[in-house]
Amino acid sequence: MARMKFLCDAERCIECNACVTACKNEHEVPWGINRRRVVTLNDGKPGERSISMACMHCTDAPCMAVCPVDCFYKTDEGVVLHSKDLCIGCGYCFYACPFGAPQYPQVGNFGSRGKMDKCTFCAGGPEDDMTPAEYSKYGANRLAEGKLPLCAEMCSTKALLAGDGEIIADIYKERAVRRGYGSGAWGWSTAYKDKATT
Amino acid sequence: MSMNLGRVVRLLSLTLALFLLMPAVASFAQTPVPPGPNTLTGPDVSNDQLLLQQLQGNLHGRVSIPDQKSAMLIQPEGQDWRALRDGTLKTVSAVVLLGMIAALVVFYVVRGKIRIDAGPSRRRIQRFNGMERFAHWITAASFLVLAVTGLNLVFGRWLLIPLLGPEAFATMTVYGKLAHNFLSFPFVLGIVLMLLIWVRHNIPNGSDIAWIKAAGGLFSKGKHPPAKKFNAGQKLIFWMVVAGGGVVAASGYVLLFPFAVTDIAGMQLAHLVHAILSVLLIAGIISHIYIGSIGMEGAFDAMGSGQVDVNWAREHHSLWLEEELRKGKAAGKPPTVGRQLPAE
Amino acid sequence: MLVKRKPTAAGRGTGMFGSVAAAAPMDRRAFLKRSGLAAGGLAAAGAVSSMSMVGKAEAGPTTPGVEITRKKSICTHCSVGCTVTAEVQNGVWVGQEPSWDSPINNGTHCAKGAAVRELVHGDRRLKYPMKLVDGQWTRLSWEKAIDEIGAKLLEIREKSSPESVFWLGSAKFSNEGAYLFRKMAAFWGTNTVDHQARICHSTTVAGVANTWGYGAMTNSYNDIHNSKAILIIGGNPAEAHPVSLQHVLRGKEINKAHLIVVDPRFTRTAAHATEYVRLRPGTDIPLVWGMLWHIFENGWEDKSYIEQRVHGMDKIRAEVKKWTPQEVERVTGVPGDQVRKVAEIMAKNRPSTLIWCMGITQHTVGTANVRALSILQLALGNIGVAGGGANIFRGHCNVQGATDFGLDVTSLPAYYGLTEGAWKHWSRVWGVDYEWMKRRFVSQKFMEAKGIPTTRWFDAVLAKPEDIEQPSPVKAMMVFGHGGNTVTRMPEMRKGLEALDLLVVADPHPTTFASVSGRKNGTYLLPICTQFEADGSRTASNRSIQWGDRVVEPIFESKNDYDVMYALAMRLGFGAEMFKRIKVVNGQPDPEDILREINYGSLSTGYSGQSPERLRLHMEHQADFDRTTLKASSGPCAGEYYGLPWPCWGTAELKHPGTHILYDTSKHVMEGGGTFRARFGVEKDGANLLAEGSWSKGSEIEDGYPEFTYGMLKKLGWHTDLTEAERTVIEKIGGANPDGVSWATDLSTGIIRVALRHGCSPFGNAKARAVAWNLPDPVPVHREPIYTSRRDLVEQYPTLDDRRDFRVAHLGKSLQAKDVTKDFPIILTSGRLVEYEGGGEETRSNKWLAELQQEMFVEVNTQDAARLGVKDGAQVWVHGPEGNSRARMKALVTDRVGPGVAFMPFHFAGFWEGESQRSAYPPGTDPIVLGESVNALTTYGYDPVTYMQETKCTLCRIVAA
Repeated sequence: MARMKFLCDAERCIECNACVTACKNEHEVPWGINRRRVVTLNDGKPGERSISMACMHCTDAPCMAVCPVDCFYKTDEGVVLHSKDLCIGCGYCFYACPFGAPQYPQVGNFGSRGKMDKCTFCAGGPEDDMTPAEYSKYGANRLAEGKLPLCAEMCSTKALLAGDGEIIADIYKERAVRRGYGSGAWGWSTAYKDKATT
Repeated sequence: MSMNLGRVVRLLSLTLALFLLMPAVASFAQTPVPPGPNTLTGPDVSNDQLLLQQLQGNLHGRVSIPDQKSAMLIQPEGQDWRALRDGTLKTVSAVVLLGMIAALVVFYVVRGKIRIDAGPSRRRIQRFNGMERFAHWITAASFLVLAVTGLNLVFGRWLLIPLLGPEAFATMTVYGKLAHNFLSFPFVLGIVLMLLIWVRHNIPNGSDIAWIKAAGGLFSKGKHPPAKKFNAGQKLIFWMVVAGGGVVAASGYVLLFPFAVTDIAGMQLAHLVHAILSVLLIAGIISHIYIGSIGMEGAFDAMGSGQVDVNWAREHHSLWLEEELRKGKAAGKPPTVGRQLPAE
Repeated sequence: MLVKRKPTAAGRGTGMFGSVAAAAPMDRRAFLKRSGLAAGGLAAAGAVSSMSMVGKAEAGPTTPGVEITRKKSICTHCSVGCTVTAEVQNGVWVGQEPSWDSPINNGTHCAKGAAVRELVHGDRRLKYPMKLVDGQWTRLSWEKAIDEIGAKLLEIREKSSPESVFWLGSAKFSNEGAYLFRKMAAFWGTNTVDHQARICHSTTVAGVANTWGYGAMTNSYNDIHNSKAILIIGGNPAEAHPVSLQHVLRGKEINKAHLIVVDPRFTRTAAHATEYVRLRPGTDIPLVWGMLWHIFENGWEDKSYIEQRVHGMDKIRAEVKKWTPQEVERVTGVPGDQVRKVAEIMAKNRPSTLIWCMGITQHTVGTANVRALSILQLALGNIGVAGGGANIFRGHCNVQGATDFGLDVTSLPAYYGLTEGAWKHWSRVWGVDYEWMKRRFVSQKFMEAKGIPTTRWFDAVLAKPEDIEQPSPVKAMMVFGHGGNTVTRMPEMRKGLEALDLLVVADPHPTTFASVSGRKNGTYLLPICTQFEADGSRTASNRSIQWGDRVVEPIFESKNDYDVMYALAMRLGFGAEMFKRIKVVNGQPDPEDILREINYGSLSTGYSGQSPERLRLHMEHQADFDRTTLKASSGPCAGEYYGLPWPCWGTAELKHPGTHILYDTSKHVMEGGGTFRARFGVEKDGANLLAEGSWSKGSEIEDGYPEFTYGMLKKLGWHTDLTEAERTVIEKIGGANPDGVSWATDLSTGIIRVALRHGCSPFGNAKARAVAWNLPDPVPVHREPIYTSRRDLVEQYPTLDDRRDFRVAHLGKSLQAKDVTKDFPIILTSGRLVEYEGGGEETRSNKWLAELQQEMFVEVNTQDAARLGVKDGAQVWVHGPEGNSRARMKALVTDRVGPGVAFMPFHFAGFWEGESQRSAYPPGTDPIVLGESVNALTTYGYDPVTYMQETKCTLCRIVAA
């Protein structure tokens, strides 16, 4: 069974932000919500690396574990999704998430957050697939259409890979072997398991 | 974010050590935390970690968007928080709360209701005026809701979702959260009032030592160590509520206004402090409710009508009673006819 | 539980991933196809899939059950030429899908490309024509707007002269729009028609055309896959051309190619370099000569190539001798060892390619920079070679095409120049009488005189009549698709704007032109649609021509360029002549028919074979083209190169495949081979300018030869190959002197056809010129910037003397003489951000992009910041050395820039000296993000050949605000 994963090849990522705007475009994500972002480490110095980051759809997802209303669920393909009908905007998932994925519209009293929003791996939400109701809350459901997340599909240098963990691990491994130098994928360590290359 | 993993763990450890929960932390702190939710990671070196080494562990980068907290690439500390919240906090809370209830049940069975040894005198004396009772009850009422809605966030998912279903539970929890947020204000008002009104009565003094030595006479019939307006036990509750409640409120406000005061590490810490102190507070208050209601004859009147039986006062607050009598405030008048005493 | 979707819920198990989830893992090849990883990730995974496997979208902003159509257009943001696949429902653009089939972008985009759908939703677009009435924006109808503008133009023509109207076109026009605009200026009667190429790559065009014949990228983005060493100098493609990095990184990974980045700033591109060289801004020539010093010293040059194909290398050797490692280090600041290392890498890892952008071109020595780099590649024998070449990344989506079609003050379309012969050629193409055309101008002298470049238009407005070589100063600006904050010396530009009688801005957005000045009247805004709302072809940087389909009808009241130009031409009284040979239906010229006229006339550049039908066929069969060679191996386009990169000789029927790599002698000319162009005669000072012992594969003339004329065909005895019809055309064109009719003016294309049949390049087979004797510096020499921080070098390396050209004065030495380094100690340079384009008006109005860069900033080195007491994120005032200019912005403290250097992005406008100008925009059309313009601070300085502006090195002072 496919286990959907993201992997960002830091040797390739150039911080072009295509992933960010592709996401905005595909899901009409409002201003201020960044389901995906690109972080540049060691900016302006030798060794500078940019990494595109969003929800990593963890196997053992911390957001899912800490949610007080249990609004998260995982699809058969390993995509971590949540129900905005159930979400109470408590922010616990943000405390727990190692990747800073949960986003909040910040509406309501006393800086309270509103319903959490995050990357869906372009897989929508609990509503019926590809319905307007699903779109309005979670955005497009590309997986149901047989497509992969648009951020990865449109990545200018094909740094951001999305898809079955095994396959993207293979692709990454092949790249690393061909390069014959360095490493620098950023994703799920388990995505490459014993195939780690240096 | 400025806190690194070590510092957070130290802080957390410190916080918890204060509450004698060190063993749980120790086992956690010994496990190196991988940079991600890598609970499945085997012994192999992942590329993530290699890259992390190349970057010399620097996880704070630059983003062009104004949301500077997003410049933190990853925060492995989230895993610590998760482990503490889902593991330690939950266990400790359950143990503390159930333990307290169990202890009270045992106490009730063994000691029974603490009677007024001399029996009710039918003479009453004013113990708390309207303002004092207002301060108490506004605190108490808001606290009860805060406690219940707070505990709901910790245990509701396991206890109530199976009963109510997710939709009803979520709806309830949303309102619970609203109540939790709004009732924090009367709660704070209450503790501020109590602090102003009662702080001078709650300065520890010599008589407290005797009271403590005698364990307040709780465990032995007919033994009543002298006490002023508040005995050492009540002083403990007072300070627990005022100081503990104050810290709980402060840490709660940190969470209520995300990122206004601190970064995510601060909020994780605030949350843990908030949760742990709250649980201890709830445990303390359970015992307070017990002794103020079914645990002791005549105690409820103090906050009910505000007038207590003189015999009750003599047994539990002898020094205060003497003082009041000296001031000529002894209420010689008979009690109101038909006034209900606490249920026995 | 209730929230868990059942695995069998609707939609599951039907798509591709349904099967993945349910059964065996997806076939690896299928996955790679779908994910588009085949090309980028794995070596030879074959063609990328067509889109047939993709299910229909039924949600999103879409309405379920309504048919979705797919349209292909070309991204309008840079010259890479990414295909955009649009999903359209009910006439609304509802989604963007990856364009897997495009060999150029392989499905990918950058931030801008992935956000283009927003452009046609365009909340902040100009919605209807407007004009300023006593300082108030007022709505008016198209008819009234055209009528009033036309009347005013004719009045200016009457009172002043046609030369008093400045026609500023755009690199965002389609080819057809660019051509039409140039034609309109010609019919109006002026050569003062320009566009963005002036300020991006005019010096490249001048430099490389003067070296080997054509002003364009010699190879392609895809061809970088073949490079063994890649040198990027003065360019930051990671931000300016992100999709190109896909090809660069592929070359780097597959060939283990060295990637050398030379830039004063540690850019996002530099982060991926194997070698990063930081040099002082404006010292490119010393660095290149320093590299050549090592190359010549060690004998690493390609001696036989130089002997056969390069003229004048000896004079270069003499100049290079002066640039010893010590001197190079003294001037550039680059350590001597590193220069040697870079030279050795380039020399020993051939084919090595050279990539440059505006860090090379936008200098007072821009043309000389370009020439020096071209000479470096010639010395290494890298031109005309797969994996080598001068891969010049151009800027806008159609800046190559707009340049090709003469939005240039020095030429008619297709580089014919302004000579009488050129005018006669185009008069024939247009079907108008040359004498009639001449009467449109003030005189024949003005017909053949270079116009005023866009960098100097305001000087031409503000000039005293005696200081400008035309009947009167400029009085009207017709601005089609051009930002107002893109030229240097904005304080002067504002004055110029205010002095104009008429300002017309035809653009999807009001642009800075509309908001920056204090104009109260005589200003019109015409809403033009984007290229996504029009049909037309665009020429990518690699000369591939791609046809873009209209995705949706123009939104609001906007119209496309063709319709507006037609209406204007009719109002100005020359519409009938101008559109004589172009089909017009209901006031709408047919873009395909415009292209046919282009094909008919643009022989000199080989724009004749790219008929609309062939271009559409290529778009339809994109998937058939190889991702590296760009050649189709199967399908109806088999044997052709993607987009028929020019030159694509002869008529469409000749089926020339286009030219992927220019000057490539390893191929037959009918298979895209070629030679260096013979355009500077056959002999110079006794030296042979034609190639010696080098010819393209299959050439029947096995040596150099001049360009083909009817007379030459006769000498060779090949004239008998011409058909009777062809000969008739030639004789008619030639009149008294038919022998003089050349391949470029022979409208029958017979001469070209015959030359090709004999394996010869129609334009001859010459040597490239290392020495270009017609330029101010025939051999490039280092000249310090006018505002240099190194006063100690001014005497030895002075800028040029004051001079005059392009009808106005051009100051040099007199300005450089003044030392301002005491008050302005920091070098100020400028560049691009990935989120924005050009003046930024369009992209700053796009909410998905604007969110990512919300504030203007200046990059300040950490050491400088510490010294100045400036913290990261703090506000600073930056002062410029001319006219007390100043601007307020955020400091970004970083080591991206070296000590003593500050950098600003050039996309911002809408703030002036700390004040917001938001209210100056027509309501609802203000861009989301406004900021101070770098060009409020930039200073005087122009390239002597093209009047390219100096944007990359001036001086400034930074103080905490």
